[in-house]
Amino acid sequence: MKILVVDDFSTMRRIIKNLLRDLGFNNTAEADDGTTALPILQAGGIDFLVTDWNMPGMQGIDLLKHVRADEKLKDLPVLMVTAEQKREQIVEAAQAGVNGYIVKPFTAQTLKEKLDKIFERIEG
Amino acid sequence: MDESEILTDENIARVRDLLSALEKGDAAGASEVIDDLANIRESDIYQEMGRITRELHDAISAFGMDEQLSVLAQSEIPDARQRLRHVIDMTDQAANRTLNEVEESLPICEELEKRSGELHDNWKRFKQRDMDLNEFKQLAKSMDEFFNANTGDAGKLKASLTNVLMAQDFQDLTSQIIKKVITLVEEVEGNLVEIIKLTGGLEKVDGKEVAARKDKLAGPVVPGVNDNGSTVSGQDDVDDLLSSLGF
Repeated sequence: MKILVVDDFSTMRRIIKNLLRDLGFNNTAEADDGTTALPILQAGGIDFLVTDWNMPGMQGIDLLKHVRADEKLKDLPVLMVTAEQKREQIVEAAQAGVNGYIVKPFTAQTLKEKLDKIFERIEG
Repeated sequence: MDESEILTDENIARVRDLLSALEKGDAAGASEVIDDLANIRESDIYQEMGRITRELHDAISAFGMDEQLSVLAQSEIPDARQRLRHVIDMTDQAANRTLNEVEESLPICEELEKRSGELHDNWKRFKQRDMDLNEFKQLAKSMDEFFNANTGDAGKLKASLTNVLMAQDFQDLTSQIIKKVITLVEEVEGNLVEIIKLTGGLEKVDGKEVAARKDKLAGPVVPGVNDNGSTVSGQDDVDDLLSSLGF
């Protein structure tokens, strides 16, 4: 299982990577916005996407829309981890086909719960 | 023009003159009186305009005189930008210093956990007398190694924790910088309010909801900043909202 972590702040990428490693996901890749993430996704081999929303270049919501519109990537599980907590934005992400939505600041427990829930749904 | 100022004896006399000129068929005389009346009104308007212009000029130069605005615009606001960038740098450094120490410490903890587990298993076997002499000798050797390694590892962990502790010194410094910037923002706010009052624009927005800039993402929720109930209050609210959408 290889996970791509997309966030414009390297500290947040490191936090997420460390939490993922603690949950047993040792294989991760990083990108700092949608524009750099998309080629990595298109190159293949990524099984799960964790992305921020507000980033320079391509934002997380647009990355999600690109993923869902791409024949090869459309079933990729996407977990959004973001400080955006306007209702209309959460609804927009849901309509765009996000698999999980975590608001920052978040806990290790929340990350674990959302990942478990997404995997449960995929396998079930 | 103050309306009561119209009610003068001179004006009554002018109107009488006008009436008698009209009755006499004196067109030139009547025109003269009408011109007179028009002039009274015009000169009042000019006077009023002059007064407003002078007041505005005085008020603006009162601002200019203490150079408050130009100092704010030319040096204090650029300084504040620089200060805030420094805050970003300091918090970034603190986070990275902390993450470095954590990433160095976690493998040590994992190793410690693993070694303790192995040793504990062997120790249980020894207590149950399920161990021959050679194995026991090996266990004794492992215990020696374990104790030696622990002393070194504990020292490393202690040093890391001290570094994490020291990385928190940004809080004091960034707070001081941010407080200065808040004071500056208050000063700018005060000046802006004065200017808006001068131009009479304040009451136009007063009491009305200022339209939020729709093109901008809202960013992190800040306690005490009004969001008109458009944001959720935490992860539980997000989960509720998503489950109401069928998630």
